[in-house]
Amino acid sequence: MRLSDSLGRASLSGISILALIFLAFPLLVVIGISFTTTEYLRFPPVGLTWKWYARFFHDTSFVESLFTSAKLALSATAGALLLGVPAGLVLARKRFPGRQAISALFLSPLVLPTIVLGVAILQYASTMGFARTFWALFVGHVVLVMPYVMRTTLASLSGFDIAQEEAAQDLGATPLQTFFLVTLPQIKPGVIAGALFAFIISWIDVEVAVFNSTPELITIPVKMFNYIQFNVDPIIAAVSAITIYVAIVAVLLIDVTVGIEKATTRRE
Amino acid sequence: MRINPWSAVLLLGVPVAFLFIFFIVPFGTVAVASFRMPADGGWSAANYVKIATDGYYWGALYLTFKIALWVTLLVLVVGYPLAYTITYNVRSTLLRRIIYIVIVTPLFTSSIVRAFGWLVLLGRKGMVNDTLVALDFVDKPVQILFTEGGIVIGMAYIMLPFMVLTVASILQNINTSLLEAARDLGAHPIVAFLKVTFPLSLPGVIAGSLIVFTLSVSAYVTPSILSGGKKTVMSMLIYQQYAATLNFPFGATLAVALLVSTLLLIAGYLLVIERHAKG
Repeated sequence: MRLSDSLGRASLSGISILALIFLAFPLLVVIGISFTTTEYLRFPPVGLTWKWYARFFHDTSFVESLFTSAKLALSATAGALLLGVPAGLVLARKRFPGRQAISALFLSPLVLPTIVLGVAILQYASTMGFARTFWALFVGHVVLVMPYVMRTTLASLSGFDIAQEEAAQDLGATPLQTFFLVTLPQIKPGVIAGALFAFIISWIDVEVAVFNSTPELITIPVKMFNYIQFNVDPIIAAVSAITIYVAIVAVLLIDVTVGIEKATTRRE
Repeated sequence: MRINPWSAVLLLGVPVAFLFIFFIVPFGTVAVASFRMPADGGWSAANYVKIATDGYYWGALYLTFKIALWVTLLVLVVGYPLAYTITYNVRSTLLRRIIYIVIVTPLFTSSIVRAFGWLVLLGRKGMVNDTLVALDFVDKPVQILFTEGGIVIGMAYIMLPFMVLTVASILQNINTSLLEAARDLGAHPIVAFLKVTFPLSLPGVIAGSLIVFTLSVSAYVTPSILSGGKKTVMSMLIYQQYAATLNFPFGATLAVALLVSTLLLIAGYLLVIERHAKG
């Protein structure tokens, strides 16, 4: 029994290590290729050069789409926070009929096909006359990222001692003061984690943005997607590598603020 | 916190109105458009008739669900052991953090980047083929890219973190004393796993497979890059109609068909599970 126990454990560890290599390897390959001195994709890379990064930063259209993506991700995150946190507060503190249904509404963009959200925004914006504008991208992305803000906000609010808020209000604090001085400092880690998730979901989205882009108004993933259909060269590896660095920074930030395990799994 | 009714209406009303205007109404627009004729704008169910009677669309729908099913199974087989190991067998906090970072980082990277990585790895001169040849599994490089198998590998890669995180969430919350009791009473570790841990983790398996299946069905980027245009799934057809053919009504019909058939399959799956749970 001891033997089979440790055998089982060893084979589990074996599968797990292979799975982790499977997860890390393609990203390492992309980063590796971005440093190759060859004109074609090559892994392992030959030599070491920064020229593909330099070419990327000299191509204004790539840099512009990097800015478009950053602007979109920041504003969509801000929009989702401004709408999601107050709504989460009411949903967590008030009891009223239809509360469950409204919570489900806020989370539902998570389970519906993103590509359908993309075409829905395009079709709706065409009818309303704002198709392929920054506003179309913005509203689409607020809807897309809202569930992530909502989920962490509701989770932090439910594990919160309501008596503290009541004490503050009994002592004469206004609801606004109570929120900013008592509630927000305590739910802050959850809100920050939600905001980082929201930022990254917008930052990497293709399915919504691809339908609402123009050659001038284009996010970095869509730009890469269009580029990759016609050219495959190490520039695309350099751009990809940059987005991987952003992802690593975001993951580390989440780990520092709330802990990566806590932010990504649910403990009861 | 006590919130007076008027503030509550405002604080909740604005976000709900936003979702109504920019989420429910747009989806409604798609549903309505699916009953329009592209030529004259009249009302008709002709788009649905076209999909239902043309084998090409059934083929695309079948391929979409077939790929999604294989992805779900593959991800479950690889993801469950990983979730189990990090939950029960990794004691060091630092190691756990590193493992979680390795799992989450791909999730935070665009599917373009990830599909691009596989494009390089799976090619004829790619590392996978080089390894297969070097290990004498095959004589000469095999075609993996632009096949269904290649799409399944690339998509399973995208979906694996979702399954691992969902299953790990459930495993964390299982009361380990139940498992210890089974072991103390002499149950073989494998028996204890099959009789105690696995049944208790089923909600995670069900939730994880639902998330992975739904996301796989609607994935667009990965299949379109890794198919090289040689295989067609529903999301690619929808894209064609909206971006190339500019036949919005027919694209809308394809989107509704995909949405409804996915929901039906999920409902069927949940029904079967419920039957099993009762019986």
